[in-house]
Amino acid sequence: MEQSTESDICTDPVIRDQWYPLRALAELPEGATHHTRLLGVPVSCGVTRGRPWARTESAPGDGGTGALPVIDTYGYLWTSLGEPPPGVFEIPEYTEPDRRSMNAGSFIVATSAPRAVENFLDMGHFPYVHTGYLGIEPHTEVNPYDVEIIDGEIWATRCEFFQPMAAATATGGQMSKYTYRVPSPFAVMLYKSSPVDPERRDVIALLLQPMGHEQVVAHNFLCLLDDVNSDAEIKRFQQIIFAQDKPILENQIPRRLPLDPRAETPIRADHTSIVYRRHLRELGVNYGVVPA
Amino acid sequence: MIRLYDWELSVNCYKQRLLMALLEVPYEIVPVDFFPGWEHKSPEFGRINPLGHIPVLDDDGFIVRDANAILVYLATRYDPTRTWYPVADPELLALTAQWLMFSEGTTNTASAARLHDGLGYDFDVEACRAGAHRLFRVLDEHLWFGEREGRHWVCPSPHPTIADLAIFPDVALSEEGGISRVDYPAVRRWMDRVRHLPGFVGMPGISPPLATSPPSVG
Amino acid sequence: MASSRPEGQGWFPVAASDDAVAHHVVEAVLAERELAVWRDDDGWVNVWENRCLHRGVRLSIGHNEGMELVCQYHGWRYASRTAGCTYIPAHPADAPARTMCNRTYPAIERYGLIWTTLADATGSDGPPSSAPLESGSTLPLRAMAVNVPAGRALDSLAGLDLPDPNSPDGTTGGPHRRIDGFTLVAGSGEGVVVFFAQPVAAERCVVRGVVGPAPDEGATLALLRRFNRFLTEWRDEVEAQAEFRPGKRATPPPPTPAIAACSDGTRTRVRVSRRWLTARDVVAVELEAVDGVLPTVQPGAHIDVHLPGGLVRQYSLVNEPGRQDVYLIGVKLEPESRGGSRWIHQSLSVGDVLTIGGPHNNFALRRDAQLTLLIAGGIGITPLLSMARSLHRSGIDFRLHHFARSPEHLAFTDLLAGLGEHHRPHLGLDPAATTVELESILAEPGAGHQVYICGPGPMADAARRVAAEKGWPEESVHFEYFANTRPRDDRHPFTVELARSALTLEVPAGRSILEVVRENGVQLESSCEQGACGTCTVGVIEGVVDHQDVHLSERERAEGRRVVTCVSRAAGDRLVLDL
Repeated sequence: MEQSTESDICTDPVIRDQWYPLRALAELPEGATHHTRLLGVPVSCGVTRGRPWARTESAPGDGGTGALPVIDTYGYLWTSLGEPPPGVFEIPEYTEPDRRSMNAGSFIVATSAPRAVENFLDMGHFPYVHTGYLGIEPHTEVNPYDVEIIDGEIWATRCEFFQPMAAATATGGQMSKYTYRVPSPFAVMLYKSSPVDPERRDVIALLLQPMGHEQVVAHNFLCLLDDVNSDAEIKRFQQIIFAQDKPILENQIPRRLPLDPRAETPIRADHTSIVYRRHLRELGVNYGVVPA
Repeated sequence: MIRLYDWELSVNCYKQRLLMALLEVPYEIVPVDFFPGWEHKSPEFGRINPLGHIPVLDDDGFIVRDANAILVYLATRYDPTRTWYPVADPELLALTAQWLMFSEGTTNTASAARLHDGLGYDFDVEACRAGAHRLFRVLDEHLWFGEREGRHWVCPSPHPTIADLAIFPDVALSEEGGISRVDYPAVRRWMDRVRHLPGFVGMPGISPPLATSPPSVG
Repeated sequence: MASSRPEGQGWFPVAASDDAVAHHVVEAVLAERELAVWRDDDGWVNVWENRCLHRGVRLSIGHNEGMELVCQYHGWRYASRTAGCTYIPAHPADAPARTMCNRTYPAIERYGLIWTTLADATGSDGPPSSAPLESGSTLPLRAMAVNVPAGRALDSLAGLDLPDPNSPDGTTGGPHRRIDGFTLVAGSGEGVVVFFAQPVAAERCVVRGVVGPAPDEGATLALLRRFNRFLTEWRDEVEAQAEFRPGKRATPPPPTPAIAACSDGTRTRVRVSRRWLTARDVVAVELEAVDGVLPTVQPGAHIDVHLPGGLVRQYSLVNEPGRQDVYLIGVKLEPESRGGSRWIHQSLSVGDVLTIGGPHNNFALRRDAQLTLLIAGGIGITPLLSMARSLHRSGIDFRLHHFARSPEHLAFTDLLAGLGEHHRPHLGLDPAATTVELESILAEPGAGHQVYICGPGPMADAARRVAAEKGWPEESVHFEYFANTRPRDDRHPFTVELARSALTLEVPAGRSILEVVRENGVQLESSCEQGACGTCTVGVIEGVVDHQDVHLSERERAEGRRVVTCVSRAAGDRLVLDL
């Protein structure tokens, strides 16, 4: 882990006030302390006598330590450095009894949180980066879809893509239907037709914990319909997908997401990303981005 | 049937998958929740490998652990051409063993840096990176002169050996440990040659080449 | 330190020629700028900024397909030489805009090294000429990356006893001649060694030595080893003094704008470099750029050739993307030529300079078909040959059905031969027999199959009709007409409103929308101006169109959302255009 620097400290209120996951509770045994960083600030967390806690460690230019607010939901311990809302955004599917929820892995990636969000929102790379899983040539076309902002959340609907092996439960190729959702600036989710029950949707989320401007922990949250595969098999599938994205994310120049519309060249397929970049601009986000 | 206790993102497991793909040996994967489940450290897994490591290979009840040992076993048993592990040629065999030992070095430096950077392992990453660069410098020099001597693999054989496969994944994923390969052009060309081997399979972070760009053995 | 070439301003070596092997992409850094260096199948060396214009991904993790570089992230394809985008898989039906072009740097191979400059190269004469190396053959040494600044590395070497290239174990004492901050010459008499420093970052460089003249082949390897041993020991020592720092990626400087200053393709001056009779009544013309490189070729694209007397004629390019050192066109002598083809056949000579426009691409090739059927009639072979070459290189399945009167009428037979079994000539068929053959070729509309048709009006109309009869979906059948042979009617006057320009204009009888719009100062690109190519097509917001072109499909006509402004008109009194 790189040392945090003064310049990694976040001053954007909108970013400081969000909830961020620090650790999956299943990976936080009673009494253990997990040391990490959030928005440039060294923090630690743990569960003591059944109660989750988080605190800042000595921060650069600060020196003090202090208790942080915590929430325990969706299997993670969440905290915030600012004045967070009363709860984390809603994932209603989490309470459905026949679903399996788990952290498929928390990976440190040398990229910015918004670059990771944008990659998660992208379908065009499936045949090239997730070859044989989420896409395959010659099925490369991205059909038009709808994007709107509802109550401050970005929703992309009517998304579809041909997938040879859409999930660990898939038995063959299918046109997968997707809905994407960006419930907070550095969290992104997708709802995807389940190979098991076409009427219902699997929920997959990428929850970013920005350690610094250009380093994140990517927590892979799953909430699936799958009564066939073992946890190891389910995690394996999701980890393959994420680890295929990782070298792409680590080979983007610059690592921060450019918000100037002229800095990179979007196409129609990038509709969600165009809205996401504009949304970050309008929120006044400076963290992990190259401001316009 | 061969069963491989495997974690998809492990370089040492990938070495086995790659060799079995190249040899067209069918096998089954037993997924181990190495991360984040630490299943390899569980008491159940301890009965398969008391060292708590993957990969482990189970070939109809014969169990062997450790990446290079499994490569030796698979090549000796399943490669009728005897080229991947050249047991008939004492000098070539010794050089294969020598470069297999070199791969212990790349695993303990380059791949250790990758575990540090990606999974947060508590290693001295600067020491890992510096060690990897020392090894990569030696490898690049060896391969650069090899190109001028008509040798395209780490051992002086017209055919690659398991030593190439033992070193390749550590090198190919080094950037995930913050180790750039910009100073090692001959290593990068050798990586392309490995990727163009018939039957090559990749892993997350190592893509196969386009079908339309044939290799240049230069 | 003597330095006549500030870092990043002059020419520096960034790789050895031997590094850029076929189908490989070399990673290089010069003055903190990351570069992707690759050689195409014709031997041309590309030096590009190592960043895809779409999402910033390093191109060095992509694929060198021979004539195009393919980005690893979304499969975008970029042509050799220009770095212009030739294909975007997410939108397979669309031709990428001409302005989509990665940043390129000039490249020159000299002394066995690849040189480039980050400065504006216009007016620059290339790498420094090193007199001792000019006289004969050269042998580049193995490059040595060193974690010390470039100037310091050469300062250190300048004072050392270096291996003498003239004697197998002798040395040559310093001080050696420092030509400038980045060049050092050692040795005397017959053989010299010149060290060029490639500044990588403030504290890193690559030292590239070149021995001249090259030793006998038998002595080469020993000499390379001797210098390599020397330089390795020197590196370890100089780094130990400087405190060893493992090589890191350079911190990238602020990225340049994604859309680099590549040709907008509106006007290019070209010179006729070759012309020959490639078939009966068909002359092949090769056109080379008068300066710079020719704009990016996409399969199916055409250029506008400006001829004497204000004539402008469209000719499809036979080139495949990336293979565009010269443009290749085929010109058929039209018996009723108004001067275009006749002038080219009778008056155009090698060395003549012409102005061309484009390329434009209104006949874009999808690369996502399971099978692509290319159906050519006569000189209609030209755009389809470009498509066929591109598909053939990528191993995408296709058939090129080629209707012609006789073997003497087959143009570009050398290129056709390269397509092997994919090329299916159909010779000497009358219209009825042609239709029978088309019925067999188009017998079944296969799932994921695409058809591209180019040929004279009657043959193209027949193919279009047969495809419709056999149940091919309209969006799978693509046409390019040479010309619009339909009778036109421009008697009806009407009004056009330009929604974005907030203009209302009258289009009188005898004038086109295109002409009237242009007269009023609104920019609108055009090419054939006879309703064939589709370049001047504009969106329709309101009103019913009287379609008189041959470019739009039946479905597009029925939808009425687009109008080809050079020939089509309002059916009623008024059209509102998205312009």
